[in-house]
Amino acid sequence: MAYDDDFDGSGDRREGGAFRPMLRQGKRFSQEAAHRPILVFEDVFKSYRAGRPVLRGANLVIERGEFAFVTGPSGAGKSTLLRMLYRAENADEGRILFMGKDIARLKDDSIPFLRRNIGVVFQQFKLVENWSVFENVAVTLEVLRLPEKLVRTRVGEALERVGLSGRGEEPARVLSGGEQQRVAIARAIVGEPALILADEPTGNLDPQLAIDILGLFEEIHEQGTTVLFATHDRTLLEQRPHRIIVLDEGKITDVRRGLVTEDGNFLSAPLH
Amino acid sequence: MFDNPSHATRRARQGILREWRLFALSIFSLTVAFVCLGAALLVMTNLRAIETRWTHAGRVSVFLKESATDAEIEKTKVALEATAGVSHVTYVTSEAARDEYAKNEGNANDPLLALPKEAFSPTLEVDVDPNLDDKGIEDMEAKLGQLQAVESVETYRTWTNRLARLVRGGVAASGLLSLVVFASVLAVVGSTIRLALQRRKTEIEVLKLVGATDAYIKRPFLLEGSAQGAAGATGAVLLLGVLFLLVRGRMDGELTTLLGVEPTFLPWFAVVGMVVTGALLGTIAASLGLRKLVAV
Repeated sequence: MAYDDDFDGSGDRREGGAFRPMLRQGKRFSQEAAHRPILVFEDVFKSYRAGRPVLRGANLVIERGEFAFVTGPSGAGKSTLLRMLYRAENADEGRILFMGKDIARLKDDSIPFLRRNIGVVFQQFKLVENWSVFENVAVTLEVLRLPEKLVRTRVGEALERVGLSGRGEEPARVLSGGEQQRVAIARAIVGEPALILADEPTGNLDPQLAIDILGLFEEIHEQGTTVLFATHDRTLLEQRPHRIIVLDEGKITDVRRGLVTEDGNFLSAPLH
Repeated sequence: MFDNPSHATRRARQGILREWRLFALSIFSLTVAFVCLGAALLVMTNLRAIETRWTHAGRVSVFLKESATDAEIEKTKVALEATAGVSHVTYVTSEAARDEYAKNEGNANDPLLALPKEAFSPTLEVDVDPNLDDKGIEDMEAKLGQLQAVESVETYRTWTNRLARLVRGGVAASGLLSLVVFASVLAVVGSTIRLALQRRKTEIEVLKLVGATDAYIKRPFLLEGSAQGAAGATGAVLLLGVLFLLVRGRMDGELTTLLGVEPTFLPWFAVVGMVVTGALLGTIAASLGLRKLVAV
């Protein structure tokens, strides 16, 4: 079975509570894959300019249902790492296994099917401003060709989860920054993806709103979704004892227990 | 696997409504281009009708020699009436010919009327079956030319040959014009779609991020291109129709009598053809404009 035949937008997403990815028609989800790490980086190299690699032999394993911060100074490669996961970038060398499949070797026409299993949230929200809140969220399900009634139900649920219940008819452009980011989160979760990637999602928000949004991602994580949250905001990292993946000069340092030590103090190294 | 067509239609409709100024400008440009093509087709349609009318004029004039005797003339007339394809033969004397000229000209001071009646040749005016083919008329012309009493035979084929050459030239010119119109449709729709693509960059990025296939993203733009092409062609047909009615209303009835045909509008298949061509060209232009989708 070729990797690029595996992802699809059809099929039952959940069965008996266990996650089932969206697979192409006729493909079956291996139960064995359910026990594999959701994400594995094996000796991944990526550079935009010769002699200045962004990632130099990065190795990383993310287990299913984890919440991990990705941090590092500006230009360290946080966004690049996330972009490689939804194949907006491709690795120069190495393997990136998503649910056991090497996404670096996906053919172009299989990329949409990979993306249906990943929700992405950006600092700049990336909402279509002249669409309504409902349309901005529903687009994820319309692409999957779900029936309109089901789309309405699931969008309503997603908006309720992000605290925007009853706001579906409002144009996205009239919302505040925090509300727009909630719409973007609703769009990312409405398809019940295996993995949520958040690329500096609080970068445009004030500190209190940033903490609220972090809380929202944690609630999503509690439902069993794996979350990778990229930020360079140290105050957020200090808030919760989540695993921290530090990127610097192309190398990954893994701080598995976060910045909070067992006695409740904060670590200072290796963050900048 | 097919994407839900209603999503594509809805997104196309929303796209057109949001960018209506851009699309209105594009449709206006396409209408102008299609009016040129439609006008050329309209002229061609009418020229061809005139050519057909004159090709099947059903008339041959047999000019008789001055020396022809009444017996020879009568013999020729009887022979002609017995010929297949001939429905009626009328003998027009020199005097009758001059009178008819005077009646048609309507100017008593015309110097030609001062000429003696012998200046107007007597003729046998032959009504021929309109369905008689060119070969039949050629044979008749050859046989008549050999008769003692016949000076010359006029089948009016010179006129129809000239008209046929004019029609052929018109067809070639219309073909070239079609190419120019097609190129302009491709350029106008392609540019409009590229501009719409740029304006809806975020929408495309979002669609790609949530896993839309390229076909799903492209479909509304193809529909928009098709709608532009069809609307431009329809606008041109309507405009031409109005112009045609105006011109026909002011047309001299005598001109119609002279040409022998009523002016006609484009046939239905040409109208449908123009609209379908517009839609097809719009789709092709949009497809070309969409070659480079926003990369995410």
